[in-house]
Amino acid sequence: MPLFRVLTLFFLLNFGYRAFSQDQESITGEVLDVTNSEPLVGANVYWEGKSSSGVVSDLDGRFSLKITELPYRLVISYVGYEQSVRIISAKDAEKPIRFFLKPEEMSLDEIIIQERRPDEQVKNMEMGKATVPIETIKNIPALFGEVDLLRSLQLLPGVKSAGEGTTGIFVRGGSADQNLVQLDGAPVYNPSHFFGIFSVFNPDGIKSVDLYKGNMPASFGGRAASLIDVSLREGNNVKVRGEGGIGSISSRLTVDGPLFGNNSTFIVSGRRTYADLFLKLSSDENIKNNKLNFHDLSGKVSFVLNDRDKISLSSYQGSDFLGLEREFGLGWTNWVSAVNWSRVSSENFFFDLQGYHSRYSYTVEFDDPENGFEWSNQLSESGLKAVWTFLPNAKTQLAWGAHSQYYHFAPIDLEPAAESAIQPIATNPKNGLLNNLFATATYELSPKLSAEAGLRWGLFNQVGKGVDYLYEGGVPGPEADITDSLSYGTLENMQFYHGLEPRIAFRYLINEQFSLKTAYNRNFQYIQIASNSSAGLPIDRWILSGRYIEPVRSDQISLGLFHNFDQNRWEFSAEGYYKDLRNVIDLRNGAQVLFTDQVETELLAGKGWAYGAEFLLRKNIGKTTGWLAYTWSRTWREIEGVSEGEPYNPRFDRPHDVTLVLNHEFSPSWSAGLTFVYTTGQAVTFPVGSYQMDNQSVPLFPDERNGSRFPDYHRMDASVTWKNADKGRKWRGSWNFSVYNLYGRKNPFAYEFRTIYNDDINYDSTEDGEIISSRPGVVMTYLFTFLPSITYNFQF
Amino acid sequence: MKRLTLLFLFPLLWSCQEEVVLPLGEKDTPIPTIEAYWTDQGSFNEVKLTLSKDYYDSADVEVIRDAQVTITALSSGRVIPFVYLGEAKAYKPANPSEKAVVGERYRLSINWEDKVFVSEGEMLQPPIVDSVTWSFEEERLFRDEGYYIKVYGKIPFTENNNYRIRVIENDTLQNQPEDYLLFDDTFGLQFFEEGLELSYAFEENDKVRLELFRLNRDAFEFLNQLVGLFFNDGGLFSPPPQNPDSNIKVIQGQSEVLGYFVVTPVLSQTVVIQAKYD
Repeated sequence: MPLFRVLTLFFLLNFGYRAFSQDQESITGEVLDVTNSEPLVGANVYWEGKSSSGVVSDLDGRFSLKITELPYRLVISYVGYEQSVRIISAKDAEKPIRFFLKPEEMSLDEIIIQERRPDEQVKNMEMGKATVPIETIKNIPALFGEVDLLRSLQLLPGVKSAGEGTTGIFVRGGSADQNLVQLDGAPVYNPSHFFGIFSVFNPDGIKSVDLYKGNMPASFGGRAASLIDVSLREGNNVKVRGEGGIGSISSRLTVDGPLFGNNSTFIVSGRRTYADLFLKLSSDENIKNNKLNFHDLSGKVSFVLNDRDKISLSSYQGSDFLGLEREFGLGWTNWVSAVNWSRVSSENFFFDLQGYHSRYSYTVEFDDPENGFEWSNQLSESGLKAVWTFLPNAKTQLAWGAHSQYYHFAPIDLEPAAESAIQPIATNPKNGLLNNLFATATYELSPKLSAEAGLRWGLFNQVGKGVDYLYEGGVPGPEADITDSLSYGTLENMQFYHGLEPRIAFRYLINEQFSLKTAYNRNFQYIQIASNSSAGLPIDRWILSGRYIEPVRSDQISLGLFHNFDQNRWEFSAEGYYKDLRNVIDLRNGAQVLFTDQVETELLAGKGWAYGAEFLLRKNIGKTTGWLAYTWSRTWREIEGVSEGEPYNPRFDRPHDVTLVLNHEFSPSWSAGLTFVYTTGQAVTFPVGSYQMDNQSVPLFPDERNGSRFPDYHRMDASVTWKNADKGRKWRGSWNFSVYNLYGRKNPFAYEFRTIYNDDINYDSTEDGEIISSRPGVVMTYLFTFLPSITYNFQF
Repeated sequence: MKRLTLLFLFPLLWSCQEEVVLPLGEKDTPIPTIEAYWTDQGSFNEVKLTLSKDYYDSADVEVIRDAQVTITALSSGRVIPFVYLGEAKAYKPANPSEKAVVGERYRLSINWEDKVFVSEGEMLQPPIVDSVTWSFEEERLFRDEGYYIKVYGKIPFTENNNYRIRVIENDTLQNQPEDYLLFDDTFGLQFFEEGLELSYAFEENDKVRLELFRLNRDAFEFLNQLVGLFFNDGGLFSPPPQNPDSNIKVIQGQSEVLGYFVVTPVLSQTVVIQAKYD
């Protein structure tokens, strides 16, 4: 997302930035953190006594400053770091100079945990955006000690969790498939390991994560609810370094450094679980022979070709495997790759080109002589995106570009084993071509008022190869007879949709600490998951818009107040939003979507809406950092065929949501983290009676969907970290001890309504004798009460 | 069956269960529940009429005894009256020799108080069952050690392939959620010719009665949804629970209705598991 970063930076820094170039009249250089050689973005660089004519370092920590006279004293300062002053001679100015700044934490008791400018939230144009620095994520107490990016995002206002222990997220009333999770610009279709317990991102390999809660810049689109933009870290160009950790579930290792000289870098990051090693320790043969593991591996290489051009290639591959004995196996794999080329054409003209390919596949194997099979599926998205950015003057920024995406959802393929009596199944493939044109302009109408207007135009073609079915009466349904089918050749148009997606925002600066913002955004989404469960499964069926399935449309308006105080140590924001959703889908009762070629017969479509208010108080600087968030929100769906056609709440409608995240550094060696979450219980359907069918009692459910609630959810997690004081040794280690669900709250995962025999919820007819008594009962399942874990982390 | 717990997803390795009492809603008026079978074998033909009750009510369901129940053969308009039999707690044909005829379409009508419920179904031709065998099998994945029964036959139909096999083991109907054996032609029907293995492990000397039904699609869907509901654990991975879609309509009176009407041929066979014939 270079475009957005460039725009943001330029806006924020009031055009202090100048392109990195070297000429006779300027001095150029880089500002880096001495502890890890990471570039420092937004550092102030100026000639002593002339701070008003200074510049700030760019995204790569680079700067260029006009020379007036030499020798002269150059000042480099950055919040949270010790100021550096160096005398620059004429000889020094001939080539780029590196400045290493030392964090102030030891001298000033101040630490800064974010890369952005302290007053950014007040002055920028962004609404509904949250940036969580990876260092913050690493300090949040984690389930099994596994630092998790998506689970950390669940702690932000406006972001809901599907339930205990899952990384699925629901943003401002949108479904889980309405989030675009992308890694260096390439979409990740199933961002979870272990059925959603962990997300696919190894935190050591990540640079940052930005969450856009619907208010995406025009250069992004394709999903209705949010953009989760994850950037892989670049390697440093000074020396080979490493970091990693050994945890109770997995171990991880990251190595980075210069590749060919200091103009190219690499980083490789890997992680592997060892749950199956624990299974092997079991004395139970049944458990011993099972497999359960995941791994992920990511890498990135970057080349600075010259003063103007930079290329980076990144790739991620991650797999899960669940194996029972040697007879049953379920595996799934994400593989995404991206290449990015950034060009600084001139001081005010930039170009970014990006190509990517993302592939998701799963395989289910059952090795049985009579009913064995191999069932697999694969989907992919390939894309090419070009963005031009032009900054004609200090008040205007312009950007425009194009983005082409090709979706290929391969046929569902079920192949019987050699002797198997079952027949093969193969559906037809689904393909889509989405071409987007976009343009955006940001203009400072007055020193207080700025406006941003963007437009994205998506042109979607469902294309061949493929087959469309025609139904009696023109409406697909389980009872409707197929009257005909139409076959299409490769890339032949099957269905066309297009839509304009305006993005408008205003920011009014009341004073240096206060701003008001408002925004309106429209998004179209041309792909969806055909599912009505609340948590994703590896075998979920993705579907494309087509003859019977219209694209999802989302409109969101939002209004916000942003306030910083105590010298930007504290940030406060209050945002309200209303969102309207069209053409969202659900499944009919008893729908079978996994193997059918007529998935449209299983779907129901309707509308939705959501509204809410989000409050966030955040402290980013100091020994104690963290945030307190409160969200009040409601989410509704109205779909013919569900809940008698009346509005209902999806499971993730949880009106009240409080989150407290705290981190405190007691000393350079000791720190502690604490999180507390409280939310209204999930909206669910409980029975209102029972009836007799087939000689057994069946729970009777009301027609109204999700009219009941789980009890309120709350949980506290805590962690303590001890690290070796930095004595200049190469190897630095730290221990993290964390407890999930500190006070052992039994938060329900599920309720089963079933007959309880002999007053024993675990009654087993083969082991527990005859049935003496039976009665209706409710059995609650809960997970993870007081779960301690320990992790050793290291750097070298 | 411990291995199956692993399939039940990773987080459940850390799960615990306990019984709780939740405050639950109640229906203002109980809902009539209909379970109607109309077959080519007289002993199967009956209509059960009961009322729903509150969830925690552990008393037996209330039986409706005062309804007028008829089945009409639609081609001829011939009405077959049913009468309530207290012993069976069900309505049976007044003339016990009445039964369904292949190719005929039937309508069930039930008048109760001011309400009228109707449903229709077609009597389909039965498939062919050639033989039933059993053999001892070692423990396998998803299968305990024991005697397994195989049904061999032929299904010569291109449509309406919706089947249920009911198992009565030593005079006890197997009706636990995992006991339901429903299949259609999604995966073809060749497996029926090559021997359909029932997923139950039997013991020696078990007397096993098998009943094969060929159902109309709506009745098959009802059973499928019923089984789906039994397996719905109310968790994140389950769809929102819904009552199975009834194929019975309310054409008069303000009422809801639960249950289904089945018109089906019945093929049945009884075997006694004996090791020496294995």
